[in-house]
Amino acid sequence: MPDLLPALPEIFVLTLACAVLLVEAYTKNGYWSYALTQLTLLGAAVLTVFTTSADTVYAFNGLFVDDLMGDVLKLMTYLAAIVSVVYSRTYLTDRGMFRGEYFALLLFAVLGMMVMISAAHFLSLYLGLELLSLSLYAMVALQRDSKVATEAAMKYFVLGALASGLLLYGMSLIYGLTGSLHLAEVAATVDFRNQTVLAFGLVFLLAGLGFKLGAAPFHMWVPDIYHGAPTAVTLFLGSVPKLAAFAFVMRLLVDGLHPAVGDWQQMLAVMAVVSLVVGNLAAIVQTNIKRMLAYSTIAHMGFLLLGVLSGSYAGYSAAMFYVVTYVLMSLGAFGMVVYLSRGGFEAERVDDFRGLNATHPWLAAVMAMMMLSMAGLPPFLGFYAKLTVLQALVGAGWLWLAVVAVLMSLIGAYYYLRVVKVMYFDAPHAEPLVPATAAGDVRALLSLNGAAVLLLGILPQPLITLCAYAIQASFR
Amino acid sequence: MDFTSLVFYLFSAILVVAGLRVVTARNPVHSALALVLAFFTGACLWMLLEAEFLAITLVLVYVGAVMVLFLFVVMMLDINIEEMRRGFWDYLPLAALVAVLMAIEMITVLAGERFGLAPPSPKPADYSNTRELGLLIYTDYVYAFELAAVILLVAIVAAIALTLRRRPGRKSVDPAEQVKVRRADRVRLVSLKPQKAEAREEEA
Amino acid sequence: MLENYFPVLLFILVGLAIGVIPMLAGWLLAPSRPDSEKLSPYECGFEAFEDARMKFDVRYYLVAILFILFDLEIAFLFPWAVVLGEIGLFGFVSMVIFLAILVVGFAYEWMKGALEWE
Repeated sequence: MPDLLPALPEIFVLTLACAVLLVEAYTKNGYWSYALTQLTLLGAAVLTVFTTSADTVYAFNGLFVDDLMGDVLKLMTYLAAIVSVVYSRTYLTDRGMFRGEYFALLLFAVLGMMVMISAAHFLSLYLGLELLSLSLYAMVALQRDSKVATEAAMKYFVLGALASGLLLYGMSLIYGLTGSLHLAEVAATVDFRNQTVLAFGLVFLLAGLGFKLGAAPFHMWVPDIYHGAPTAVTLFLGSVPKLAAFAFVMRLLVDGLHPAVGDWQQMLAVMAVVSLVVGNLAAIVQTNIKRMLAYSTIAHMGFLLLGVLSGSYAGYSAAMFYVVTYVLMSLGAFGMVVYLSRGGFEAERVDDFRGLNATHPWLAAVMAMMMLSMAGLPPFLGFYAKLTVLQALVGAGWLWLAVVAVLMSLIGAYYYLRVVKVMYFDAPHAEPLVPATAAGDVRALLSLNGAAVLLLGILPQPLITLCAYAIQASFR
Repeated sequence: MDFTSLVFYLFSAILVVAGLRVVTARNPVHSALALVLAFFTGACLWMLLEAEFLAITLVLVYVGAVMVLFLFVVMMLDINIEEMRRGFWDYLPLAALVAVLMAIEMITVLAGERFGLAPPSPKPADYSNTRELGLLIYTDYVYAFELAAVILLVAIVAAIALTLRRRPGRKSVDPAEQVKVRRADRVRLVSLKPQKAEAREEEA
Repeated sequence: MLENYFPVLLFILVGLAIGVIPMLAGWLLAPSRPDSEKLSPYECGFEAFEDARMKFDVRYYLVAILFILFDLEIAFLFPWAVVLGEIGLFGFVSMVIFLAILVVGFAYEWMKGALEWE
């Protein structure tokens, strides 16, 4: 009989996701599923808080691990999922997507992320990833009558399947080399008897990882999918899964393949530099804000990889801090795009934000905070995220990478500031942008989101300490 | 060369030819059928590796079910074959490059003396692959096993959410409704007073 | 190891023979005098109206994919049945949970009307 207690949040989410499905089939009323979904995520958060401890616990014959990094990331996942569900309520209702299926798929995606976050075995890593990806493919395609959404889902599915194939191939090579699928045993037994196989295995693993993270040169799907998917889905898939993706990288490379750190550092360095360059340069020419944010995601993933590749505790905790920060910012930015879209109209062009300050100064202020934070300007949270990563990089002796990162961030600041300029200094449209709803909770949450980016930026220390502590406790 | 290797090379040759037919056949239905052959010979190769359960599963699930789905999809899409195949050979240089790279990779990887692991010991005749799998799946790997169920569940939800649609104005009848119907629902007896002939003509 | 499969080989050969011999016999024994009218396609005596390869309804696809999913589920039942005596209550319960998760899916598709053929 395995110890079920560490996996209690997973079991809870699975049970209630099934309940959401049955409630949808029985009542055919989206509000029940909506309420139940929020309840599920809150309940899972409570369970995670109560079962958390600084010790690392293995369960299910070593397929599952419950450690502090996992708990913190899971809590952030629930939080981000709750926020994204609240933001997208009106958008979904307007487009006939406010149905139980959406929420059930979302909960299954969250379950997949939780599995990835606490995976200690190649199998659980892969199954979690597939659970997440399958749910996301379906969510992107859920707006069946939209041609762009269907096309995006198709591209996402085909490229995602290819990436899964690459990842599996890499895993099987590593398995052939070590004879084990347990990450801890892989780390213990991997040796350099057969350097070529290890290198090939790593190449495939990292190519698959790069696809899933959306890091260049495996980034081609990102802009098309972010653009084509219904904005509420973009909000979800552009923010929440990044936490799980970070955990995936940590489990695979640090838990499993730390002995080969010299090999993967170089590969990650290439991916990080290409991501920073491609993401920041391509974002400049975008006129669609969803595409722009997609390219900015690629650049941010480059930064995340920079943190991981420093190969030190400082680097890992900097990367964790960065990913948490990024999720907060992208929730706010995509949330604003969702908030300003109404039935039949998507506020997705940069031009749509023209003169927002004149009509809705508060919304413009929140959006501006997100943009400035993404650009990495003090005193916003994004500044400290970039700073800690750069500190870790320089500390590990990667000075040239730090220089490249700073240069690219300067270029990147241009397109973020352009959005701010458009909102504050351009004349508003003849028909000003009207939010779809005056729903109080959405407004309040958006404000809170903005406040968090500002306040955590002024007082970043608690969050930085939390990340550092979680990493220290989990990777002793 | 012993008999087993002879059988191995025979199946491998069939597999390669079938694989080539999958990509080069002009008719997509032929491609699908070549894929069936490829799966089948693949299953035979797995048999040679003493992976009986997986071989049977491959035949049952892939040949029996997945290929049927493939054929449905091919027939559903009404593909314009001429258009689809235009520029097919333009990709040859790129495809050849990737194929050569993959081949080199496989050779480097596989030439390394079985990854430095000991070769598996031959199993006795009554060794049951299925039994060994069963002993592991439902106990040690129960977590992965239940996750597999969740993934199947997501697939069910996705398939229904994406393809099920009610057509408006359909003329099918619900048999349950038909059985439940009572005379009173269909026929109403009305007593009309007899009218005179002139009155009817005036109305007309 | 291959000797174990001799009965299977024999079975396949006999199966093939039963399929091939009647076709061969028909080809060899039957008279065959084709002409262009005999070989041309026809539809109840009319000229063919359209291509025989018509589009399938997406509904077939839904049925097929639901079939595959439950087919996969059954594939998991075989090894379970083989070792049920050895894995004890724990193995039994793990399969019950597996089936329960899929029963949720089944209930969902039933209630949604995905099993109805309008």
